[in-house]
Amino acid sequence: MAVDDKTDSVTVRQRISRLSESITNFGHADQNNLAGLLLLLPNFVVFSLFLLGPVLFALFLSTQNWNVFTSSGEWAWTTLFGVRLPIQNYVEVLTPWPWENNWASLRSPSYNLWWFALRNTIAYVIVVVPAQIVGAFFLALALDMRIRGKKPLRAAYFMPVMLTSAASGVIWRWLLANNGVVNEFLRPFGLANAWANDPGTALGSLMLIGLWGGIGFNMIFYLAGLQSIPEELYEAARIDGATGWQRIKEVTWPNLRNTHFFVIVLSIIGTFQVFGIALVFARGGPYHATTTTVVLIYQTAFENSNYGEGAAMAFILFAIVFVFSYYQYQLNQQNEVSY
Amino acid sequence: MPRSNYDYPGYERSGTTYWTKTTILYAGVIGGALLWSLPFWWMLATSITANPSAASIKLLPSNPTLEHFQTLFRTQPIGKWFLNTIVFAGSVTAFNLVFDSLAGYALAKVDFVGREKFFLLFMSTMMIPAMVTLIPVYVFLAELGWVNTYQGLIAPMIANPIGIFLLRQHFKGMPSALGDAAKIDGCNELQTFYKVYLPLAKPALATLGIYTFIMTWNNFQWPLIISSSDQMYTLPVALFSVRNQFFTEWGLVMAAAAIIVMPVILVFLSAQRYFIRGMTLSGVKG
Repeated sequence: MAVDDKTDSVTVRQRISRLSESITNFGHADQNNLAGLLLLLPNFVVFSLFLLGPVLFALFLSTQNWNVFTSSGEWAWTTLFGVRLPIQNYVEVLTPWPWENNWASLRSPSYNLWWFALRNTIAYVIVVVPAQIVGAFFLALALDMRIRGKKPLRAAYFMPVMLTSAASGVIWRWLLANNGVVNEFLRPFGLANAWANDPGTALGSLMLIGLWGGIGFNMIFYLAGLQSIPEELYEAARIDGATGWQRIKEVTWPNLRNTHFFVIVLSIIGTFQVFGIALVFARGGPYHATTTTVVLIYQTAFENSNYGEGAAMAFILFAIVFVFSYYQYQLNQQNEVSY
Repeated sequence: MPRSNYDYPGYERSGTTYWTKTTILYAGVIGGALLWSLPFWWMLATSITANPSAASIKLLPSNPTLEHFQTLFRTQPIGKWFLNTIVFAGSVTAFNLVFDSLAGYALAKVDFVGREKFFLLFMSTMMIPAMVTLIPVYVFLAELGWVNTYQGLIAPMIANPIGIFLLRQHFKGMPSALGDAAKIDGCNELQTFYKVYLPLAKPALATLGIYTFIMTWNNFQWPLIISSSDQMYTLPVALFSVRNQFFTEWGLVMAAAAIIVMPVILVFLSAQRYFIRGMTLSGVKG
């Protein structure tokens, strides 16, 4: 049985070496699990602590009446259709439903602030996103032509993008003040107005700031998109007798399909979360005219220390923008190149 | 850029039509650019005018004064705010560069179990609106006693899926043969990373660094939440507080705005290329 002993000891040795390998390498042989996981470790820790963990914690918080001083919470129970559920915060945020009071909560902030803030936000998105996109498209077209001074011109349109939202809010608050420069120009025409203090115009002023700050951002994407349209398409259109406007309409605009999609998705996500300019410009006022959803979440959670309700609102916002952020995630995945 | 009409026969760079079209084009883009940059100019003009009101401010102030800046520096801890902002933006950038290049390299070039799943996990956090995580992170940091501290300000900003994505794409674009050659010469994974691939990633690191620095410098939401005394304010939060304190003294407020805006504009004008590349790759605005 000596032969068997020999083979046995060989197999045992092989097994041991394979076993020790599999501790560090539990996939196939060329994998380097230990190195990969160690390199990932620092990020894995911060992501767990500050992004992934908090989502779960936020879900928990949204079911609690949380007290930050004792750092403890009580379950916020409510009974819905005869079932006892910890969703009182959600119910409190969403009720009364807007149809229950004949849509009055969309017209006045005194019924339900969440729905009023959502109305403000949606109005802001509906005006600012198309205006930004159309404006940025034509701006990119003009700045893509053979003109002198392209670089400083692009920089001028892009500069507001560089600004912190606190600065844009403050600067525009001064420009639109009662004794500000905008009124100085409009007064001769009898159009002077307390832009920021009038509930009827405050949201419109906010849209103006959003447009000012966002057009340069979208312009960059359109300028990049324009480079990718092959010259041959324009040549073909010319041969077919297309005028300048027809070439824009039939060649440029449809060929920017991907850019449009990308820019629309990004703009919707960005504008839906408008916060800094709204808070700084008019602190959400007057009479909640510029209270957007994120401003409301901020005020609920951090000014009124109602963390549970704030977390519930944040989750509802999450649900609303999820579709768009999912598209963004997909778009980023498509940018993959590998050699 | 499509060829312009004037590259074709039958179109002349002269005549009424040509000059009308050219004038309209230039008037449009230059007028728009002036309109877009006028708020900046107005901010500067207000900050150097005594007792500013719209009627009294000229496009070129006749008696420029620095009194608003002097008052600000005398009464407010501007130096501390600058320091806070530099510490905040600088540390977040440094942490991001180190952490994200490690992870970006691992996710692009190291073959290990569950690599794609980890990547998807990191990327999926891009879908979460900031407010969803900021509330629990605040509650969590309050528990640790990190409210109103540098570590509380900095730590949550280190987790940055965009940086990982950006560097992973960059490392993926480099040939694997380089790493294979280094390994044949006896380098281990870490040596391959910092001797071979990292030096090649300098442009991407510059892009990520400048982009992260400006974005963090401009960040308003998180510093507003986590800092509770004016000694811990960063510049954007300080501007908000100055505005609330001196809400009728626009000269002071605009001087404060100018102090915040000018460094960013200077950095931008000198490193525009990097910043714009960072933004187009990540698709995220401040």
